[in-house]
Amino acid sequence: MGKTILTAVGITKVFPGMKALDKVDFDLRAGEVHILVGENGAGKSTLAKVILGVYKQDEGEVFFEGEKMEVSGTKDAIAKGIVAVYQEFTLIPYLSVAQNIFLNREFRTKLGFIDHKKMESEAEALLKSLNCEYINIKAPVKQLSVAEQQMVEIAKALSYKPRVIIFDEPTSALSDREAESLFAQIHNLKKKGIGIVYVSHRMEEFPKIGDRITVLRDGKKIATIGINDCTDHELITMMVGRDVSQVYVRTQNEHKGEALRTEDLSDYSGKVKGVSIVLNRGEIVGIAGLVGSGRTELAQLIYGINPIKTGKVYVNGREMMPKSPVNAVKHGIGLVSEDRKKYGLALGEAIAFNAISVSLKKIFPKFFMNKRKIYDIAKQNVDQLRIVTTSVHKQCKFLSGGNQQKVVLAKWLNFNPQIIIFDEPTRGIDVGAKMEIYKLMDRLAAEGKAILMISSELPEVIGMSDRIYVMHEGRMVDECKRGEFTAEQIGSRMLGLGVGGR
Amino acid sequence: MMKFMDELKRSKSFFSLIGLIGLVIVASIIAPNFRTINNMITILRQASVLLILSSGLTAVLLTGGMDLSVGATAGLVGCICAQLIKSGVPIPVAFIIGILIGALIGFVNGLLVGLLPSFIATYATNWVLTGLAVMVMNGAVIYDLPKNFTKLGVGYVGPIPVLVIIAAIIVVILYILLQKTTYGRQVYSYGSNAEAARYSGMPVKKIMISTFMICSICAGIAGMIITARLNAADAAMGEAYGLQTVAAVVIGGTSMLGGEGGVGGTVIGALILTIIVNVMNLKGVPSFAQPMVVGIVIIVMVLFDINSKRKQSQKQ
Repeated sequence: MGKTILTAVGITKVFPGMKALDKVDFDLRAGEVHILVGENGAGKSTLAKVILGVYKQDEGEVFFEGEKMEVSGTKDAIAKGIVAVYQEFTLIPYLSVAQNIFLNREFRTKLGFIDHKKMESEAEALLKSLNCEYINIKAPVKQLSVAEQQMVEIAKALSYKPRVIIFDEPTSALSDREAESLFAQIHNLKKKGIGIVYVSHRMEEFPKIGDRITVLRDGKKIATIGINDCTDHELITMMVGRDVSQVYVRTQNEHKGEALRTEDLSDYSGKVKGVSIVLNRGEIVGIAGLVGSGRTELAQLIYGINPIKTGKVYVNGREMMPKSPVNAVKHGIGLVSEDRKKYGLALGEAIAFNAISVSLKKIFPKFFMNKRKIYDIAKQNVDQLRIVTTSVHKQCKFLSGGNQQKVVLAKWLNFNPQIIIFDEPTRGIDVGAKMEIYKLMDRLAAEGKAILMISSELPEVIGMSDRIYVMHEGRMVDECKRGEFTAEQIGSRMLGLGVGGR
Repeated sequence: MMKFMDELKRSKSFFSLIGLIGLVIVASIIAPNFRTINNMITILRQASVLLILSSGLTAVLLTGGMDLSVGATAGLVGCICAQLIKSGVPIPVAFIIGILIGALIGFVNGLLVGLLPSFIATYATNWVLTGLAVMVMNGAVIYDLPKNFTKLGVGYVGPIPVLVIIAAIIVVILYILLQKTTYGRQVYSYGSNAEAARYSGMPVKKIMISTFMICSICAGIAGMIITARLNAADAAMGEAYGLQTVAAVVIGGTSMLGGEGGVGGTVIGALILTIIVNVMNLKGVPSFAQPMVVGIVIIVMVLFDINSKRKQSQKQ
């Protein structure tokens, strides 16, 4: 392992109403992957942004190769050789791969026009160095898969010839296979002596790529340890600040009759093909399947987002025509969608207004509303769900992912639907918030609600579900009860493979 | 009081209000006759039509939409109303028919906006409605409407012009509708994130169409009042108001992207535009120079508004 290239000493950053970082020390060596973990709001992103010069720290200093660093803005940081690859892509969808990589610093011909040939050959060389020559550099970025776009982001970062790369949740949009190839690239970068800061929630990734881990909690550094010097359990305990003996909470429940049933449900896009499921009150039913297996489309069909081609939906034994979300909500169906920023929240609106958006008419049936009452309800939600915020007036875009998801949950809790569909309820949120969501789901089931949970995380599906349906290419290929399945069985069914004898 | 100030600061119109206050202070200094009660009433009277139009348009902009047809709607409804009255239809009946036509125009706009971008859809209906107005008038102009009708435009109740009262009533109704009712909340939700509103089980299509209907009804009422004030109807009489209405709403701090702003800010925006012209008239600025000043003031006001908002959001 190389010498230390980046050191941050005693970094403190205060935002109105909260101390985001409190005297945090951090150091990065050449050729190492230093993982930064912590719950949402622990200060990971803030620390990364201080290093990148996006935020100016209130106290403390950052040293780069022994020299005190005075940067303001990413431009300065890039000039020093510090670049970031963000969780949300910064590429422009309609420009080509090459144009994106050299955006705003295009090569020029002698006459001052853009030198497309040179840009393309340079881009090609960069992608080749990442073993991604299969990516068409002339294609507009929007035609690429998410993983390919991620690779283009990395190529762009590399084009600056960086000494330090900060990855912010790079795998949150990738499939397992895509993530593996990303890890291979990270290993290559390590060999080149580049220092890597890796911000992530996904603990299973750490041993594959990490050298050291720094745990942050509530803006304070808890520890910096070697990757092999602690167990997962210890790591979670450090992140959450309390002992967490069990992640998945399930109190056994009695099932009290059918709440939702679909018969031969199909959609027009061909992504859902003749799906029949049953969901009982007091039950958590998991739907396992790969991304693109039709899970989300099934949820959208039941919720009335997309029109039904054939088949029927019954709620409490009575047929219901899911023609719109308005109708679904009327029948007591709620949907926690997979993309909270797009479908779950109005990010520019206050927490309070988001929290009552479904139950507006229920709370104020007489047309006129009372803002005080809205704020009071939201305050209760904030307390109950432990949403970290300075006030209920805060716009949701300023909340961390886990807290945003809690606002989405508050939205549905206030409405109190009898059937709730959770689509990827814990995507991109930290362990602490995840456990709270599991607890909440368990409580809802205990109250007699019927819960349908769609998830890509197999441990989550297995840990929480009373029953599991497995979907593959739009069809239900398997159904099994709690205790009847192993992860291997379900995993192979998800891939469309048979399980011995079946 | 603190609560009120908090609420005010949160509202996106806070900085427009500072702009208005600044403008009033400057006006009072450079034009001593600005501060008279008579002049204040004049300003309100001059602002009335714009207030009605822009309050209605606020509903559309809050959803993230745009309505470029308010001027033509005002013109067409004013012309139809004048023709009806001339042909002997009782004034209240003509007025109600005018409102219904406004509602119909808004409904059609709303349906079209479901299919194509609102800029284009309403720009096109603006042409269609202007053409219809010319047809209704047979290319001519109508004069001499009955006194009972023109009272709406030129009459007084005590010292206060009737049209100021009408504008005030409409502003208050829209303010309550958008700020104090569940419907208003839905409009804001839709404007902030239409998809999230849909996923929250809101009747999104109805919400969107209804805002266009509100806008066109206001435009219709404004058109009839313009007719009453002029004591004449002309197919082109709404033309000048179209973009001015948009300017009033935007100066008032309502975002063109939807979800931010409100009628309170729009009142400020309409007053700012009116006061600028009023002060220039008081100071004897020649009319050919006035448009230039209006343009510059709009740029300055909106720049100030944008910068202040940016600073405020950085604080969060």
